[in-house]
Amino acid sequence: MTRLVTGRSLGLIVCMRCRATVRAIGEGQSACPRCEAPLFARRPRSLSTSAALVITAAVLYIPANFLPVMHTHEIFSEDDDTIMSGVISLAHQGSWPIALLVFFASIVVPLLKLVALGEILFAISRGRVRHTAQRSRLFRMVEFVGRWSMLDVFALSLLASLVQIPSLATVQIRPGAFAFAGVVVLTLLAAQTFDERLLWDAEARD
Amino acid sequence: MSSVIVCHACDLAHRLDSLPAKARVRCVRCRAELYRTNDGSIDTVIALAATALVLFVVANVYPLVALTVNGSTRMTTLIGAAEAFYEQGYGALAILVAFTALVVPLTQILTFLYVLVPLRLGYAAPGQKVLFRILTALRPWSMAEVFTLGAVVALVKLSAQAEVSPGVSLIAYGLLMIAIAALINATPGEQYWRWISTHGPAPRASATRRSAPRGPATHGAAPRRVAEGSE
Repeated sequence: MTRLVTGRSLGLIVCMRCRATVRAIGEGQSACPRCEAPLFARRPRSLSTSAALVITAAVLYIPANFLPVMHTHEIFSEDDDTIMSGVISLAHQGSWPIALLVFFASIVVPLLKLVALGEILFAISRGRVRHTAQRSRLFRMVEFVGRWSMLDVFALSLLASLVQIPSLATVQIRPGAFAFAGVVVLTLLAAQTFDERLLWDAEARD
Repeated sequence: MSSVIVCHACDLAHRLDSLPAKARVRCVRCRAELYRTNDGSIDTVIALAATALVLFVVANVYPLVALTVNGSTRMTTLIGAAEAFYEQGYGALAILVAFTALVVPLTQILTFLYVLVPLRLGYAAPGQKVLFRILTALRPWSMAEVFTLGAVVALVKLSAQAEVSPGVSLIAYGLLMIAIAALINATPGEQYWRWISTHGPAPRASATRRSAPRGPATHGAAPRRVAEGSE
């Protein structure tokens, strides 16, 4: 196999905003000549910031799934719904495609994000060099599907806005919704602060 | 002339001897997209942005979903949805919904128009570099398509117990989601900067007017660009 040369070894930096390849002069911060965004060889404190966000999201994941996200008040009944019970009631009412979509977006994706990002950050901090290509693919998948977890937050906002008929039924938001949205936003931020190049740096050192 | 492109995702340096006019070049190691020429011209993107703007207005003026119970009807819009969070004491969630489904998509559309229309006419809109940078940074937070499906989910949930009907706005949102996806697809990361160099003012004019205080020559630490995808 031919020897692979990295930008770092050539003294080249790629701008994270406009992706221009730029000759690095010194380690100090400077601005991209094309788009004027700050330049850095690697995103500063990427690993620690990303890890802090993932850990916070993991803690919030527990109330997000166990606390009710909404409370339905009807004439003869009171109901608390969690994210999971929302999926189950969709399945009961026979809307299988929608139930599956919500199950995927609200249950599978957040868990996948936490586990995948956690594994990737742990592997890097331990200097693991194998399976880099797989981890890179995993990260991109997480980045791609991550936004879809907002689905339930949007659905919830519409339910809370529409179902406000005091004589018949009202929907109230419960703190679980806040925790759930927190997990979604924090994991999105964690994926954005993570510098993918850290995955490949270990391989270059090997 | 050959140029060097460094992969933004794995830092591998690539030497490209010539860039084909219509192509997508991927990193040989991590498969990230290094370079892609877009199929649409600047005119296509302006047309798409104008379409998106019209759809956006329709989507936010007309009701999204209507709920009919015992003859009385309740309707809501996207802003109404954010308001519901706010009224129940979840201001942060209201901001999140308004930001991702309303503010960011609108900012994207307006920025495209504000920067590209002058570029098409051959001059640079003030602040275009900052705006293009903001446009790139906002991409992950533009969630019109997630919101549209969220509205469908809410509709299905309610349909079990009440009479619900989708409003004009839901259709407009569905179309808006397609328009924004097409906009994003027609403008791969580097496209803005290619437009600035091909459609912008002649270099000598810009050298005297704009770049004097912050050109690379003025501060010592500034790097020199060695390669650019389009050249």
